[in-house]
Amino acid sequence: MSELLRIERLSKSFGHHRVLSDFELAVEAGRVYGLLGLNGEGKTTLARILMGVIPADGGTITFKGRRITFADSAFKRDFGYVPEDPFFYEEMTVQGLLDFNAHFYPRWDRKRASSDLERFALDPKSRVGTLSRGMKLKLELAVALAAAPEFLILDDPTSGLDVPTRQDFLRDIIRELSASGTTILFATHMVHELERIVERLTILHGGRLILDEDFEKVKAQYQTSLEDIFVSLVARG
Amino acid sequence: MFTALYFKEWREKALLFSFELGILILLLLAQPIFHQKRDIREWTAYAVLLLFFPFAALLLGAAGFESEYRQGAWAYLFSRPVRKPVIWLAKFAALLSMLAALWLIFLAAWVALPGVRELVSGTRILLGFTVESGLPWWSLWQSVFLLTLAFSLSLLHERQFNILFLALLVGLGLTAAAWAVLSSKAGGFLAWVAPSKALSIFLISQVLVALAFAAASVMTLVKSDFSQTRKQMLSFVRWVMPFLFLAIIGTAAWALLAPLRGEHYLSYLDSTGGEPYYITERGVFKYSAAANRILWLAKAKHINYFIASASGGKVAYTAFNIESRNDIAEELWVANTDGTGRKRIIGRGPRENEWPREVPIADLMMSPDGTKVAILSAHAYISQRPRERPPLWIANTDGSRLESFPDDPALFGDSAERYYHHLVTWAQDGKAVLIEKRPYGKPKAFSLWLYDLGSRTARILLDNAVTASWVSPVSPRGDCLAIKYQKSPEKPWRLALLDLKSLETTDLSKGEDRVWSQISWDKQGDRMAYFIRRAQAGGPDVYVLVVYSRAAKKTVAQKRMTTSEFSALLFWPSWTADGEKLLVLDRVANGLRVFGPDLREQGQVAFPAWMNTPAGLQVAGDQALVEDDKTDSLWRFDLGKKRWKKLY
Repeated sequence: MSELLRIERLSKSFGHHRVLSDFELAVEAGRVYGLLGLNGEGKTTLARILMGVIPADGGTITFKGRRITFADSAFKRDFGYVPEDPFFYEEMTVQGLLDFNAHFYPRWDRKRASSDLERFALDPKSRVGTLSRGMKLKLELAVALAAAPEFLILDDPTSGLDVPTRQDFLRDIIRELSASGTTILFATHMVHELERIVERLTILHGGRLILDEDFEKVKAQYQTSLEDIFVSLVARG
Repeated sequence: MFTALYFKEWREKALLFSFELGILILLLLAQPIFHQKRDIREWTAYAVLLLFFPFAALLLGAAGFESEYRQGAWAYLFSRPVRKPVIWLAKFAALLSMLAALWLIFLAAWVALPGVRELVSGTRILLGFTVESGLPWWSLWQSVFLLTLAFSLSLLHERQFNILFLALLVGLGLTAAAWAVLSSKAGGFLAWVAPSKALSIFLISQVLVALAFAAASVMTLVKSDFSQTRKQMLSFVRWVMPFLFLAIIGTAAWALLAPLRGEHYLSYLDSTGGEPYYITERGVFKYSAAANRILWLAKAKHINYFIASASGGKVAYTAFNIESRNDIAEELWVANTDGTGRKRIIGRGPRENEWPREVPIADLMMSPDGTKVAILSAHAYISQRPRERPPLWIANTDGSRLESFPDDPALFGDSAERYYHHLVTWAQDGKAVLIEKRPYGKPKAFSLWLYDLGSRTARILLDNAVTASWVSPVSPRGDCLAIKYQKSPEKPWRLALLDLKSLETTDLSKGEDRVWSQISWDKQGDRMAYFIRRAQAGGPDVYVLVVYSRAAKKTVAQKRMTTSEFSALLFWPSWTADGEKLLVLDRVANGLRVFGPDLREQGQVAFPAWMNTPAGLQVAGDQALVEDDKTDSLWRFDLGKKRWKKLY
């Protein structure tokens, strides 16, 4: 498989608190990556740096062999992003938000956007500000999917979802995306969710990866649940 | 992408825009509603221009990134595939167009409501600059400036009030800095001597500061971390410093290099001893016939009045010594005609308290022997009675004495009316001065007075039954004046001579001839050349060049020149030093026409092609000096060698 994304020596601090320290990761195209980490370990920071929302203090990121910087924007056409906390222009309607986004993505799929609204039971006329957190997450997902990304970053997306949607999301949507060749980076602290979908497991701790291995190999090596593996690795540091 | 972002801003700020639009419409409605109450109309018009637009701009600008902060949507926006400068520009363009829309409403009211037009025109405003009819444009630019400042700062903080306050502080800070600069010597010079340039410097500095803030804002957005307010602010400060430094350099370069529009000039002043004097923005020079070159008498930038003694021995001039905008002293200087022996009679220095510095000098006249200068202070024009200071002063040119003379109510007027006074000349014996008096706004009631310096009283020479158009310069011998006057509006303009020895007047006009132009004395002061307009039965009036001889007491030559008033307006006569030739500058013929004393034409000298607008002919020795009005240059034609040469 070809390499889609490479992160080298990435670092980021907030004040004196160093969140990422010489972080390294290579992402192969078409696979589902699980990024596990405790709260505050830097999963969201990594996602935001990758999306060009905040700048890194150092390090390089290469996407499809080309280095990308904080000032670049073109690469984001191939990126989808579902953040942990939904943030939108609250005055917009659901349909208005989709139309607004359609201007930015050349592969924007209007049919997919409409069908996802139905699938998630989102009223196109509703104002975004009136939606619950879970509904906003669904909307984020609908926006990300309609953009037909090559690389989708999911930053703990299921924490606000109701059980049926979470099931739908984890079982069907991720599988569907994976089958279509979309590379996924699924960052979460909810270990059990990854077990059903992840192909390669990475664990972020202390600002760097302490594990980056195919999930099948990890399971074979440790012969225990993912939760136990995660706890023991984090405890070991 | 730009369009999507642009309209998103419009949708987001629609409420704020509607709020501002509502206030503007309410303020404008005051114009037709209170059309009888001018004071209310005035206040609302000024409130729109001086308060509404600046604050509307500040509010719009400060709200620039408000939705991104309020809704946490900055992370959402920045994760879209759009370049951050495009985000910045789209937001700014949207806010600017909202401000423009508000301005269009105001301009429509300006066009539609005569009351608004009348109120906002002809206003003098702000910073000591005289900005005629410029209040709306000033307000327009200030609102754009404040919008740019506020918007540039709006990405730094989530509390929009802080942004608004900071932008206001920067705007006021810049204005305060401008005040501080204007209070300095250089600033005082600019504001006072070249207000148009001072204004342009102020505006350029605002443009550059606005660009510095905008550039720093874009760089901060592109480079810094929106999630860390402190870091973002520090980043902005780091970016804005070099840009502000460049703005200061740019402003200084503009101040040094930009031309002083309208400040370059050349004007003929006076002639003594056959040598003409010219004033320029750099000082006063004379053309020395003996040295055949120009000779600088005073290289001072702010010369106001300049006079020379009839004997040719001394010159005097006033110049402004500018320490700061609020500390400007008018100085009177005396020098020899070769520029040597410069002495300050009035101004800064040990004797500065002798002269009432707060009142400008209104006129100067040198005594024929060059030993005294008569000074008329602007107190002569002040209607307030009693005057705090006397209007007439006499100074010795050696600096030994400065003496004031008592106010004479008959001459200088009572409190009921304001007058314009002009020092015409000294009496030939140096014991009296002649003063012309005209009431403001009344062409009639011109009178000529003699102020006796011995008895310190004034008496009237020509009563106020006539209207005088002009009083000629005193004759080269200092013994005679010519006055163009009219006995009543329907009567023709006539010419009278006033003998300064006997103080008797002689009427020179004959029949219905009308005196047309100023006179040109020959170098001996015997003959005068001037134009008259003569009516012809059944035909157009003709313009006739006339030579009058004081010795012969009659017109000794005359020549019909043209029937065109336009051509006649462009004639300038001047005698050669030996009095054997009279040269006339003829713009229509595009050359100099040379006449003998009998006014027989002896030849013509064509102007060279590079002379744009020839005007003002003076003859010194065998050189004809012609000013070029367009380029403010002085050209010399050598009557012997038949060659043109640029002198200045």
